[in-house]
Amino acid sequence: MSPHQPFITTKLDEFANWARTSAIWPMTMGLACCAIEMMSIVSPRYDTSRFGAEVFRSSPRQSDLMIVSGRVANKMAPILRQLYDQMPDPKWVISMGACASTGGIFDNYAILPGVDRILPVDVYVPGCPPSPDALIYAIMQLRKQIEAGGKAMVLAKNV
Amino acid sequence: MSETLHSHPNRAGLASVLERLRDALGENLLEAASADDMDEAAILPAGLHPAVNVLRAAGFNLLADIGATDHLPLTPRFEISYHFIAIDETSKLVIDPPRYRLRVFPDDVNPVVPTLCGVWLSANWPEREIYDLFGVHFDGHPNLTRILMPDDWQGHPLRKDYPLRGPDRRFAAGGRLGSVPPVNPT
Amino acid sequence: MSAIDLSKFDNNPDLIVSQGDERDTLVISMGPQHPSTHGVLRVMLKLDGETVVTSESEIGFLHTGIEKQAENLFWQQAITVVDRADYLAPLSNSLCYVLAVEKLLGIDALIPPRAQVLRVIFTELTRIASNLVQLGTHAMDLGAQSIFMYAFEMREQILRIMEFVTGARMHQSWFRIGGLALDVPSGFLDILDEFIKSFPERLTDMRAILEKNVIIMDRLIGVGRISAADAIAWGLTGPNLRASGVAYDVRKALPYSGYETYDFDICVHDGGDCYGRFVVRLDEMKQAWRIIKQGREKFPGGPVVIDDPKIVPPPKTDIQHSMEALIHHFKLVSSGFNVPEGRIYQAVESPRGELGMYVTSAGGNKPWRVRWRPPSFYNLQALKALAPGNLIADVVAIIGSLDPVFGEVDR
Repeated sequence: MSPHQPFITTKLDEFANWARTSAIWPMTMGLACCAIEMMSIVSPRYDTSRFGAEVFRSSPRQSDLMIVSGRVANKMAPILRQLYDQMPDPKWVISMGACASTGGIFDNYAILPGVDRILPVDVYVPGCPPSPDALIYAIMQLRKQIEAGGKAMVLAKNV
Repeated sequence: MSETLHSHPNRAGLASVLERLRDALGENLLEAASADDMDEAAILPAGLHPAVNVLRAAGFNLLADIGATDHLPLTPRFEISYHFIAIDETSKLVIDPPRYRLRVFPDDVNPVVPTLCGVWLSANWPEREIYDLFGVHFDGHPNLTRILMPDDWQGHPLRKDYPLRGPDRRFAAGGRLGSVPPVNPT
Repeated sequence: MSAIDLSKFDNNPDLIVSQGDERDTLVISMGPQHPSTHGVLRVMLKLDGETVVTSESEIGFLHTGIEKQAENLFWQQAITVVDRADYLAPLSNSLCYVLAVEKLLGIDALIPPRAQVLRVIFTELTRIASNLVQLGTHAMDLGAQSIFMYAFEMREQILRIMEFVTGARMHQSWFRIGGLALDVPSGFLDILDEFIKSFPERLTDMRAILEKNVIIMDRLIGVGRISAADAIAWGLTGPNLRASGVAYDVRKALPYSGYETYDFDICVHDGGDCYGRFVVRLDEMKQAWRIIKQGREKFPGGPVVIDDPKIVPPPKTDIQHSMEALIHHFKLVSSGFNVPEGRIYQAVESPRGELGMYVTSAGGNKPWRVRWRPPSFYNLQALKALAPGNLIADVVAIIGSLDPVFGEVDR
């Protein structure tokens, strides 16, 4: 935080960011195989409810985080964009898996080469599919980003 | 190939099917063969309905699949393959059900095949898919529209002369971020 | 970006909203983003109050071009792409493709017994894992959220076995044309034994909660009933067909990979409704466990690949001191192998039904055409017949009981 920012609003910002990180509610945007690993993070072994991200809201108007899990076909892209537009601010996007990040192993007419062609992405998770541990790590990185006010570039480091 | 396929008992009964197909189709029957996996017949589109009636009468009640192959640069180019299985509903355990394959070869430039929609319940979607991906028209289909590709897509992707990456990439330039350069089509 | 345009449904004869009738009907769109459609499916429902009058499904939201992608990869490389169609049971897809290519090559009788047994064990493990996902999500759709947790925990045990042996939880790409990629590591038999010992009890507990549960029975009995003749006419296969009383299972009808040497039953129910499909899938898990147990007892030694360097790369250790091995390895990696001209339709029993592949080879090193016969495509088409007359909540139950996987429907 800049030392020139006033004290009270800085503290309020920090409080707001803390509140946001502690309860990120993802939206169910399960498209393909990555969706199964995304469902696994709610399962008891890789429990995300201990991080506050337990409730998967189906309605975009009640969720904070869109985890694009799976390959994005050309037919699905406008729908994805509409859902993103329907989410209220502040909102974040995790692009889960190789297909959502770059098109993955499918380099053809049907698949969007990366969901960042239509949405701004905050965290990219590599893998085909990434294991649930990797997705939880991505959520942790996102929390760091949010805590830093969304202005810091948080680079993933080896733990 | 394994011995069991050629000697399996149900194949013997299929000789009568071939006779009936010859009678019903006449010149629409191009060739019939006993391939390694099942018996098959290559026919022209005009012979499709008579052939299906013959097969239905012979007990083939499950239309397993309608698929298409593009044999460009060979002619005839399009092959629409119909796979049938004869399942005995009342049997305690279905073993070695007879199988049959019909291969329909429509015209290269204007491929038209009569639809099986009024005749067989499971034909609706596969025919739409073949129209979508190969451009083969099914005469008489109630709703012959694209099913897998977006509705405004141009071209038929699974044809051999359609490039793998398509003519251009959608959402390439002018996307919200625009930081990813468009891919050169092959 | 084009806006979402549903106007193509305006002229659909099934969905025209009646005006001036005694009751007005309403058309709603369910999906493609929906918690209960098991993937990306749009179902347009014409409703009279809460009862469905007609339904029209729209698919294609996950069309990946797998068939075209496979035409541009070598025969061996296409295994990776083939896995990703039915993503809940990846090894079933691999098995179908690999068997088809082996038949075209003429080596299907030469696959070593150890590879056959391992293929069967892992395909049955995949079947159990897939049925557990179906069970968990179906129960969650009906409201029983805790079953989802139990089912996924049971599935984790299987995925750990997969990861231990193949390195990947999903999309193992472990089967190869000619056998398997690698042999199982030491310690595999111990964790397999642990699974064999612990699974029946957990399955029994699950059945005890679900099978005679009043709520499950109320919600599923009589819903989505289809007769045997109709099921066959719609092209249904797998548990959906067996729940209508037809005893057709490709593992018994056209055995492959040595299934004729295993002793297991076909699970048939005569209700033809969602409850029947539910029970058939529970029974199938028990039978799959029986097959795995028999596979474990057989467990032959020996190689896991055929000894043909023109198709299977030689062991890496040989490359260091044998020129032929090096050249074979180089040729296989850089330009693959050629498969003689021909075509074949190979069917396997995937957890969803008869998965068929009609593979055409033009004699080259890439497949000419890999046509899928996706069981979920045909199963889902039958929704048109199953949905009318039911409530919206029942439509959710029906879709869950048909168990569609959209990777396979849309490819």
